[in-house]
Amino acid sequence: MSIEKLPDRERIDAFDKVRGATRYAADFQSPGMLHAVLVPSPIAKGTVVRINETDALAVPGVLRLLTSKDFPEPDPDFEAPTGEDDEDEEEGFSAPSTVVDVIAYRGQPIAVVIAETLEAAIEGAEKVTGEYEEEPFSVVMESPGARREPIDEEITSGNAAEAFGRASVVVDETYVSPTQHHNPLELLGAMAVFEDGRLTIYDTTQHTMGVKNAIAASLWIDPARIDVKSTSIGGGFGQKAHAYGYSVIAAHAAILTGRPVRIVIPRGHIFHIASYRPKSVHHVRLGADSSGRMIAVRYVAEHENSLAGGLSPAEYHEGTPRLYDIANYHGGGIQVRLDRPDAGFMRCPFPHQACFAFESAVDELAHKLGMDPVALRLQNDGQIDPMSGKPYSSRFVTECITEGARRFGWSQRSRAPGSMTAPDGTQIGWGMALGNYPSSMSPAIATLRITANGKTRIAISGHEMGQGIKTTIANVLLDGLDIDPMGLEVVVGDTSAAPQHQTAGSWGTAGCVPATFKAVTHMQAALRELLDGRSVPGSIHRQLATIRRPYLQVEVSEVAPGQAPEALEYLRVSGDATAGPEYPDFTSMSWIAHFVEVRVEPTTRRIRMPRCVSIVDCGRVISPRTARSQVHGGVVWAFSAALREATEIDPRYGGYLNSDLAEYLVAVNADIGEIEVGFVDKPDPLANSTGLKNLGEVVMAGASAAIANAIFHATGTRLRSMPFRIEDLL
Amino acid sequence: MEPIAYSVPTSAEQAVSELMSEAGACYVAGGTSLFDLMKLRVERPSRLIDITRIGYDAISTSGSELRIGANATMSNVAENPTIARDYPILTEALLKGASQQLRNMATVGANLLQRTRCSYFRHGAGAIASAGSIYPCNKREPGSGCAAIGGLDRTQAVLGVSGACTAVSPGDWPVALTALDARINIFGPNGRRDLPVSGLYRLPGNTPHLEFDLKRGELITEIIIPKTASGLHSTYHKVRDRESYAFALASAAVALELNGWKIEHAHVALGGVATRPWRAPETEQFLIGKTIRRETALEAARLAFVNAQPGRHNGFKVELGIRTLADALMIASERTRTV
Ligand SMILES: Cc1cc2nc3c(=O)[nH]c(=O)nc-3n(C[C@H](O)[C@H](O)[C@H](O)COP(=O)(O)OP(=O)(O)OC[C@H]3O[C@@H](n4cnc5c(N)ncnc54)[C@H](O)[C@@H]3O)c2cc1C
Repeated sequence: MSIEKLPDRERIDAFDKVRGATRYAADFQSPGMLHAVLVPSPIAKGTVVRINETDALAVPGVLRLLTSKDFPEPDPDFEAPTGEDDEDEEEGFSAPSTVVDVIAYRGQPIAVVIAETLEAAIEGAEKVTGEYEEEPFSVVMESPGARREPIDEEITSGNAAEAFGRASVVVDETYVSPTQHHNPLELLGAMAVFEDGRLTIYDTTQHTMGVKNAIAASLWIDPARIDVKSTSIGGGFGQKAHAYGYSVIAAHAAILTGRPVRIVIPRGHIFHIASYRPKSVHHVRLGADSSGRMIAVRYVAEHENSLAGGLSPAEYHEGTPRLYDIANYHGGGIQVRLDRPDAGFMRCPFPHQACFAFESAVDELAHKLGMDPVALRLQNDGQIDPMSGKPYSSRFVTECITEGARRFGWSQRSRAPGSMTAPDGTQIGWGMALGNYPSSMSPAIATLRITANGKTRIAISGHEMGQGIKTTIANVLLDGLDIDPMGLEVVVGDTSAAPQHQTAGSWGTAGCVPATFKAVTHMQAALRELLDGRSVPGSIHRQLATIRRPYLQVEVSEVAPGQAPEALEYLRVSGDATAGPEYPDFTSMSWIAHFVEVRVEPTTRRIRMPRCVSIVDCGRVISPRTARSQVHGGVVWAFSAALREATEIDPRYGGYLNSDLAEYLVAVNADIGEIEVGFVDKPDPLANSTGLKNLGEVVMAGASAAIANAIFHATGTRLRSMPFRIEDLL
Repeated sequence: MEPIAYSVPTSAEQAVSELMSEAGACYVAGGTSLFDLMKLRVERPSRLIDITRIGYDAISTSGSELRIGANATMSNVAENPTIARDYPILTEALLKGASQQLRNMATVGANLLQRTRCSYFRHGAGAIASAGSIYPCNKREPGSGCAAIGGLDRTQAVLGVSGACTAVSPGDWPVALTALDARINIFGPNGRRDLPVSGLYRLPGNTPHLEFDLKRGELITEIIIPKTASGLHSTYHKVRDRESYAFALASAAVALELNGWKIEHAHVALGGVATRPWRAPETEQFLIGKTIRRETALEAARLAFVNAQPGRHNGFKVELGIRTLADALMIASERTRTV
């Protein structure tokens, strides 16, 4: 394994992006293209008795209207096994809902209008009326009809109940994180073309294989006849991590009409049908002995979900038991079942909320113990995963904390809350918190071809959501091979080019970079063999030209530690074959420490964050430029999640009220102070062949807690329910 | 498809006559407000009469009054150096509104006519862009009821509310103009008239759908602001949920006429908390003859909220409004000392 530091290279797609040349799914056009618009259900729950189509069909330009009757039942025998299936019971493939006549939530599509123009399709959709049998519904956790469903498994180590008996200081508090929606700039949308018995769909998705299988199962098509292309995504953040019904609808419409069909979901409708970060309530009980050793945790997390959604509160316990060396842990969870769409992954899906709760509790503990929050955390560091008893592949938490404290100037902090008030009354607070996130890995298959005429093409798993996966791959190739950067093409997110993993959970880089390194090594070996000891000057292109070889190609595959070769088969059929964070011999996590300064205005009490220092242990940094940008983005979003974002749901109607970018407030540039980023940058010796660990999610974990802790330090007021708004400190 | 006609008259006379000859016609200037509402199906005009080529975009600061053409863009007015120097209240009110891109398009005349941001009003007209949602709203659909009362009302008004409507008048600029006793010049089917800006806005009462005292076809052509020395000691102070690009939770426009340290006359208006740009005469009255200190400012500010009627989630706007106004008074009076 080569462990040199990799250079800081600019984004390879930056030039196209700043010129507006990058093409997103809905930018693709095809001659004769039609437009499809979904008709949202105006009721929150019930049954469609009749749909009145006449007015819609009378709109000039409207060609067809499809209702649930026009869609087949999904193929019950369709299978797309995943890496997880062989451990657990065999789960059948579950296709996303498309157009329904039994309405599970407000806004669910009850029809689709297909027209020659977008305007006609919208007008047609607005002219559809229906008759419904309405049913009572529950849409918020506090609704009387909300069904509380405890999860089966309990996540335990040691004996928490007994250990609490020995604790001399206990914190027992409840923390809340609100419903939030992703709002990437690029709307959900797709363009489907059916030609010569082949379906090609340009979609905006982090999971092209998922879309392929959803279409195959829903429309009874052989997956081998479907190509899904999602080559540039205008932000995904987990919203696009799974297949939606709109992709199937576009495909079906293209097949039925024999013409290309584009569908774009307006933002207000995305709020109603896409996934979201569920509101969650975290009950944390944390006990320590008088020396500040944390010895017992009881943590129950509840969150909102649809009636059958699978997103499990058990996952809040993937990170928190591993933050510290705590011997006794008892974790539980409750699904709160509501008449809403499925809750889903949103950046740093579980640890963001869990670390907010847990790291706030740790701060409360430090305060009760009269200890410095940094000292308390350093004292509870450990190298063994208490849940599995296995060592961590690498854990540089103490390094993250001490480096962060040094850069931030933590030693200048005076401990008492409110003790750092400025002469003008501005309350200044310094807070810190840790975050962690599982470091998972996906197998990958890559084809690398270098030609004598100056081109290089790599086709590999992964989706470019703007996080920089293409740049990361390019950095490895350009570092290891003497090739022309201008002739380099990185092909990701295209099922016709290479098997595609679902790019989520931060395993994107771990799901393609080890294979890219391997491709480089194999290419070097193939070239050596080809040159057979001859010394040929120039780049690889020149060398190939000199020896009159049109091109040289290698194909490689890579699996995660401990993974059997079948993993590659799962990758091929479902795109879902991840491993980790628990591997046979170790547990692999990424770590971060955030240090935050907040300033609270004396009069109208606006909260500002002039600076943040974040130090990450993500193993070896593969692409410094895009890695730094990930940390900036994570901190910005944690700020936004803690101080700005909340989706408003009116329990009387079941709709999402602030469903546009003017009313759903995300952080803006003027909100953001200085963010200083540091990397431990020590290669992980075990996690994979290249020493990297995951980055994109961990960056957000814990930062919201650091903000809350800083607010407490500034004001003496502990805020436990996000988002913290102006009225909370008035 | 519902057709929309579009025309570009080159004089005010032509614009008015085109408007009067089609029932569904309406004016459009920058379109930043109207086009949104069209997509949301709150507005459904049959003809758009683009008034950006009829003139009325000049800014004159030389006479005894400031005269600003209704078609001047927000960004052009905000960049005017004389206004920035002598009337920070005006420049700040413009720069703290919307975003640079919007201000480049939006006109200062149309700004006076923007409609409320109440989500039930905007997102309840059944548009596909709002996921087909239909909410009762007396402003949009007279007699249908008000979903905000008893609903999610954190951003609703606490002053000037009625049992039919609590929607906030969202603009910043109209608040500053109200404080400075500005007038508008109107050209319409029956000729020209002047109207104080404060006379443009109606309280919701039982008829929240009637928002502006403008007759059909009337065009705002000019904004006229009497010159006043208090402009030098003025500010528009805006508190919102983020540092930029958000409507006010509470705002205050303040301009003070001073004699030494004493206030001779105070201009005070509030935004973000009321159903129309809200003049605060009790506060103005109280301040006459006072020397500004923080306690005085708070006491004066409280008077403006004596009759506040908060709903379920917006009670904080009373305290926030008071503190915002008190801060504005302090900022304006600090400016006194530097000039
Ligand atoms: C996302 C967003 C955020 C915003 N934030 C703020 C903010 O923080 N503060 C703030 O104050 N504003 C804000 N605005 C509102 C913005 O200032 C207004 O949209 C803008 O001023 C309207 O100007 P316009 O020329 O684009 O109006 P248009 O959309 O062209 O017209 C608006 C209305 O006025 C009528 N009209 C136009 N000109 C005339 C005229 N001369 N005479 C008679 N009728 C006329 C039109 O018929 C229409 O009904 C925001 C807007 C958006 C979209």
